[in-house]
Formats: sequence, C-alpha cells, structure tokens
Amino acid sequence: MTSDAPPGQIIKCVVWDIDNTLLNGVYLESAGEPPPVDPELAGVLHELAGRGILQALASRNPPEAAAYVRSVTGADFAAAECGWGSKAEAIARIAADLDVPADAIAFVDDDMVERAEVAAELPDVLVLTPEDAAEAADWPQFSPAVVTAEARRRGQLYGERRRRQEAAQAFGGSRDEFLRQVGTRIIIGPARTGDLPRLHELSVRTHQLNSSGQPVTEGELAQLIGSAQHQVATLRLADDFGDDGLVGAAILAQNGTGIATAQLLMMSCRALGRGALDALLAWLCRVAARAGAAQLAVPCVVTDRNVPMRLALAAAGLRAEPGSVAADGRAVFTRSLAGGLPHLPDWVSVEASQ
Amino acid sequence: MTGDQARGVEADLREVLAEVTGRPDLRGVPAETSLFGGGVGLDSLAGTLLLRQVQRRFGVDVAAEDLNLDSLESLSTLAAFIKERLSSDVR
Repeated sequence: MTSDAPPGQIIKCVVWDIDNTLLNGVYLESAGEPPPVDPELAGVLHELAGRGILQALASRNPPEAAAYVRSVTGADFAAAECGWGSKAEAIARIAADLDVPADAIAFVDDDMVERAEVAAELPDVLVLTPEDAAEAADWPQFSPAVVTAEARRRGQLYGERRRRQEAAQAFGGSRDEFLRQVGTRIIIGPARTGDLPRLHELSVRTHQLNSSGQPVTEGELAQLIGSAQHQVATLRLADDFGDDGLVGAAILAQNGTGIATAQLLMMSCRALGRGALDALLAWLCRVAARAGAAQLAVPCVVTDRNVPMRLALAAAGLRAEPGSVAADGRAVFTRSLAGGLPHLPDWVSVEASQ
Repeated sequence: MTGDQARGVEADLREVLAEVTGRPDLRGVPAETSLFGGGVGLDSLAGTLLLRQVQRRFGVDVAAEDLNLDSLESLSTLAAFIKERLSSDVR
C-alpha cells in the first residue's frame, strides 16, 4: 500500500477501525468484558499523536465502543464516527469536521471489504491494513518536518473542542452569551520571531478560514515582521475548556493610500464558532482607522472550502463588487472605516507592539 | 410555486436555524430580523452549517451564487433567494 502514496504527502489524520484493529476482538461479541486493546497499534497511535497527527475512530458499533476505546488507550480522539453507515461517508464527515483534505487521511481497517469500499469511494485516502499501520511510524508520510508545540497538543485540543461543542449544544443562549459563560479570552498582539514556525504552519494547514490560500514561508514572514509598511498580528485563544494557543494571524499592509489591505487572514478551524475571526476583523478595522485609512480591503480567493471566511467578512460588513471575481477566484472585499465599526467584545485584549 | 410552498421554505429555514445554532427560541424569530446582527448573531460556523442544510434540502448552493452572501441578511431574504432559484428551475 505504501507505493500508492505519493512521497512527501504528509498524513494529518489517522482514522482507525475498532473491531479486530485497535481492539484484539469484536466489541459487541464479547461476553462480559470488552476485548483488550492491541498494544502494538496503541503504541503507534500514541507515537503519531505525539507528532501532531490527529487520531479518529470510524466503527460499526454503538458510541459506547468509542468511549471504551478512549478509556483503554488513554487517547484523546479528535473525532469518532460510530454507526452502521458506510465507512467512506464516516471518513468524509471526519474530513469535513476536522478540515483535513482526503489526501492527508490514512484509514486503518482489518476488513478487506471496508478497505476496498473506502479506496473506491475516496481514492485519495491512504488505506492501510493493521500490519501496514504497525510500521507506519517509520514512513515519511507520517513524519512531519517540523512539530510545533501546538501540533504536539493537537489531539488533546480536539478533545477539548469536542467537550466545548457538547456544552454549546446544551447551552441554548446566544453565541456571545456562551463565549462569555465559558470564559473566552482572546489576545491580539504583534508576531514575534518565535511564532514563525506556527505562522508558517497555519498558512499551510488552514483552508476554511484562510483568505489567500497561499502558504507563506518563515523567511517571508520574518521579512514582513521587519517591514515598516506591514503589521503581522497574532491571535491567541483560550477558555475554561483549555488553551488553544496561537490560532490565527493577519498581515496588514498600510501604504498611505487611504486603503489598509489585509493581505492574509488565517485562522485554525479550532477557532470556528468562537468569535476569533470576528474579533480579528473588528481589531483590524480599528487599527486601520487609527492609522488614517478610510477603507479596509481584504483580497480573498473564493473557493468552495473557505465559505466560513466569506461569512466572517460579510458579518464584519465587507463586500466585493459583484462580478469582480478574477479568473483565479480572487475578489477584493472592502468596507468603509467611517462611522460605526464592528463590535469588539470585552474579552478581547490587545498587546501593544514592543 | 404555490403560496403553501413559499410559506414552507420560511418554516423550513426556521427549523434549520434553530438546529444549527442550538437555539430552539429562534423558531419564533421575525422574518426580517438581521441574521448577522445582534438578534441572531450568525457566525462562520452556524452560517456554514445553515448553507449546507439549505443545499441539502432545497438543492440551492447559496455560497456559489451569492458572492457577498447578502441573501443571509434575514430569513425573509434567504427564503426569497431560494424561492427564486426553485421557481426558475421549474421553468
């Protein structure tokens, strides 16, 4: 199976089957105690999680099976799809939920029929037997070049996200009431040299909340941080469920023409629904207005994946000229900075530069 | 499209809105209330889920057809956008 994967394509998420894969037996067929965990694969799972690769479950079992696997492996799964539907559909839902493209997903299942179905429906997914998976830790696809602190904690962060989503579903009030209730804290501040690996990583990994879709190298970022015409701002996010660290950034160019341009806006999908991009846009409006700009412009390459970015732009009052979309999908969204600016909630704090 | 179907779109949208925001009280939101503004506070996440449900239920891809997503101004504008697409499909 290794030969099917193009060299260098880094896997970001491993979706595991449960029966006869992560467990040495079948969950529902065990009388009394459910079967024990497969120690070799559990070791691989923890090794890969430590490299920032997300771990998920897709199983024909009741949800209790996922809870059981969670407890016996001690792993914080980013997503769990338990049910009797197709595995390909389960993987597609996991991919959408975690914002991971199909070609960055590996699927491990002992059942040949399941593997064949997934390979046929989702040809980009790397399909593995448990025997393949046991050796996967040595393969280049499972060895990201740089493992940032955020990446190492990624599985845990997704676990926190799952618990937060459950609380939000049970809450019932408005989003802002919920954000306040759970102690949301956002810090916007100037990017520092130590942030470069994480900023580069965000430029590569974010899709739903990314305006340009273009990776930015650490070298380019370092130049922008040093440039007098540019501001690179980072956004850190935390609440009572956990600290997500550096989740987003903006690159703002002010060239004295009266238009301040956000050349890049990017935000981890972990921040979706938590007011982070809205806060960043509200802050950008204030910074640009204070510097004397009359307009904020956000060039955005419109794709079918970054609809959430367009929703945030629309909510912050930015509009593009209809019919102005270039051949490459790029449209420039703008708003006037005269009059009322978008609301900046009081849980957002701003660090001064230097 | 009959008047019943037209009313049906708005009723369906209320149901979807309550679902994607997790707020049953939004079933009773006036059709003219701003979705992005304080009344509903639709954000990127809930907005994406709403558009996904609209595509599933009505077969209308709002994101592909409305660059600025102005159709999300209110339930009434979104219902009008969907009804227009549905009736032009019939013709």
